[in-house]
Amino acid sequence: MELVLDRVCKSFGGVVAVDNVSVRIPRDEITALIGPNGAGKTTLFNTVTGFDPPDRGSITFAGKRIDGLPPWRVAGLGLIRTFQTPVGFTTLTVLESMLTAATPYSMESPRQVLSFGRKAHRLERKAEAQAEQITTELGLGDLLDMRTDELSAGDRKLLEFARQLMAEPKMLLLDEPAAAVAPASIGKLSQLVRQLCRERGLGSLIIDHNLSFLMQIADSVHVLDRGVLIASGPPADIAADSDVMRIYLGGEEVVT
Amino acid sequence: MTSPIFWVGVLTLALIYGSLAMVLNVESGWGGMWDLGVAGLLASGAYCYVILTIDDPELDTKFVPGWPMWLAWPAAALFTGLVALAIAVPALRLRREYFLITTLAFAEIIRQLIVIQTDLTRGTTGVANLDRPFDTIVEGRNYNYVLLGIVAFTALVVYLITRRVGRSAYGRALRAARDNEALALALGKPVNRMRIKTFVLVGVLIGAIAPVYLFYIRAISPQLFAPGITFTIWTALVIGGMGSIRGGVIGAVMLIGFTEAVGLIEVDPAHINILVAIEPFLVGLLLVAVLRFRPEGLFAERNTFGARRGNHRTNRRPASAPVGPITGAGTAAAAPTVSA
Amino acid sequence: MQNVIFGIVTGSTLAIATIGFAMVHQTENFLNIAHAQVMALGAFVGVFLVESYDLNIFLAGAITVIGVGVFGVGLAAVFFRPIRHLGGTVLLFTSIGLALMLYAVIIALFSTRPRIYPVGFGGLHEIAGVDIATGELVIVGLAFVGITALQLFLNGTGLGRAVRAVASNDDLARVRGVPVRRVSNTIWFISSAFAALAGVMIGVLSSVNAELGWHNILIILAAAVLGGLRSISGVIVAGLLLGIVMDVSVLYIPTAYRPVVAFGVLVAVLVFRPEGILSVQRRKEAVVT
Repeated sequence: MELVLDRVCKSFGGVVAVDNVSVRIPRDEITALIGPNGAGKTTLFNTVTGFDPPDRGSITFAGKRIDGLPPWRVAGLGLIRTFQTPVGFTTLTVLESMLTAATPYSMESPRQVLSFGRKAHRLERKAEAQAEQITTELGLGDLLDMRTDELSAGDRKLLEFARQLMAEPKMLLLDEPAAAVAPASIGKLSQLVRQLCRERGLGSLIIDHNLSFLMQIADSVHVLDRGVLIASGPPADIAADSDVMRIYLGGEEVVT
Repeated sequence: MTSPIFWVGVLTLALIYGSLAMVLNVESGWGGMWDLGVAGLLASGAYCYVILTIDDPELDTKFVPGWPMWLAWPAAALFTGLVALAIAVPALRLRREYFLITTLAFAEIIRQLIVIQTDLTRGTTGVANLDRPFDTIVEGRNYNYVLLGIVAFTALVVYLITRRVGRSAYGRALRAARDNEALALALGKPVNRMRIKTFVLVGVLIGAIAPVYLFYIRAISPQLFAPGITFTIWTALVIGGMGSIRGGVIGAVMLIGFTEAVGLIEVDPAHINILVAIEPFLVGLLLVAVLRFRPEGLFAERNTFGARRGNHRTNRRPASAPVGPITGAGTAAAAPTVSA
Repeated sequence: MQNVIFGIVTGSTLAIATIGFAMVHQTENFLNIAHAQVMALGAFVGVFLVESYDLNIFLAGAITVIGVGVFGVGLAAVFFRPIRHLGGTVLLFTSIGLALMLYAVIIALFSTRPRIYPVGFGGLHEIAGVDIATGELVIVGLAFVGITALQLFLNGTGLGRAVRAVASNDDLARVRGVPVRRVSNTIWFISSAFAALAGVMIGVLSSVNAELGWHNILIILAAAVLGGLRSISGVIVAGLLLGIVMDVSVLYIPTAYRPVVAFGVLVAVLVFRPEGILSVQRRKEAVVT
């Protein structure tokens, strides 16, 4: 149960965004991916999740080739991503968003209009209980009936995370989970990410700019620069690597 | 002139348009599919029904199947579902305005084919004096009440179906994909497949409403299915408020009531063209005015589900998406968050 | 070959009809369904001037083109500019409403009776074994003059360059201090005037009736999409091509299928090459995988 990228390349109209990246993301660890803006981090996410299929190279998850699969199939295998800008399902309430994430797509067909079985009802109840539990943990418990577009940016970010958890992920791909989250909540967030990964045996790959946040929770760190993977290792080693820190500091502001 | 019979007729027509608007709401209000091809689906259902029920060899059509109504009716619905499938598969590869153009073009292709295939459809002549259910039992003016009953029953069934869609996980997923397609995909929803199925469902429903429309008109010809009827249904939905089931019906009743009432004004026969012009003018004016001053529609239920904490478990309302998806969802779907 | 000539004549009018539509789409970012009704209005005003005041067709045409052009500027100011901020979809549906209103106005003013321009086509000329009437030559010539004048305006004058700036990047043009209102008025004038010109041409070639607008909107859409919606030259080539395809198709399939051919081409292009036949842009915008 691991995510393996083998010599993955992706370019857009001659501009190489991801250049020959090979990396293994273990199932039960927290892996961080750092790099300056434009390093190709989000592109790598899009490549893995099927939004921008790779030009070359292979991607396997849990032993299954996933490159070339459409995004919803990749998600169906348990590889669930979040988005950098947490727009969410704008007109759905928090609860509705949570339930949508939890409901398998087979229960979301027009055929449902004809079926009067209990199964859908039971699933819905179970998902509601789970949604209440997760939102309470994240401090969104009072907002269940708020519409997504009425939430504050920070709450939307938390919802992004909470919602994707409802989809029963086997591995989470978090795109800047700490951005726009109030500093006070970041501790809670990192605690929760760690706890969930331990409890559920959940792997996660995290992109973020907040280095201190990443260093706190990551088991290993990969550094991407201009589409190339330039360093990998435990957080302490990476922090001590002067080349990496120079590229990083040169690239952008570091939040400490 | 304003006899009860007249208003029975107005209400009948309004409920037919209302039914179509409710169906369109599933597709466009919730599904975010901007379909300008309603007329094409309606034509498919109507012509399928008429062709199957033709029992008079005098009409000189190629086939005289003479099917009974009760058999031709569901057949029309199924056939329209198939037509919808044939349109949906290519058209749903496209987004926004391109989808809109494609559906409009398909509707026109269907209409032109109907005009051309004279040995099947009798071309622009069409077929008149269509049989209607129970018209041998109840005759004359009283039949209008029977017809109103049939139409009201149809509208009720359509209402119950769309309400069920609205309250189901399926309806919720449709709205979710409309709001943010990339996110729906990232949660494992086969968005395109779901939309194709929805388009087929819409086709079946419109195909089922089509014979009822014919019972009202009593005749069929290709002119009935010009883009005008699509625009009228859209206007009803936009006036009522997209995303809300009731909005479509209320909008249709208002629109039809209004235009028919204005049609009552006595006009010098020399200026009959002004009378002809009144209906499209009012429909257009209402559409323009509502979009300008209240783009979310007149009856969109704002905050239906806000501040209702506590009863969401027992009373999960279909979120009537009162943002006026015309402004909201269209742009949300247009801005996939992936590229960030 | 005769049909190719017919096609070029049809295509010239189609190109003229589509240019204004494409310009509005480029600069105002919406599909203006009312465009074809403006065209129909032009056809009616032209025939009315010729019939009622016994004007020369060229004089009547010139008055129509300028009059309808100014009218178009007014329509935009009343109907479209106030809701510009609401986005393309609201504008598009508003244009449908406006199309219905214009259609009603046409019926109210001119009735549904079909009319014919009382003008002759002059003698036939034989060029390379093909017959072409003087009138048809004049129409193609006028289309050519119109397009050339537009190109000269867009490339050779300050205002024209401002129009192009707005077309390529609205926000940037705003920042750079382009007189946006004046540019917008210019665009609406050109768009409506060309629509009226196309209306008069189509009226002269066939006849004028109230359904003219509805019959032509899809063909205009087809030509615009075919041309990639982005470049004027693309639209011109697409209009000509579509005209030729429609008129040549008559040789192989029954005449009645002529409009179906146009819409069929439209659907095929949308589905297989949504970026248009000539443009390479917009593919990503049109298709979401």
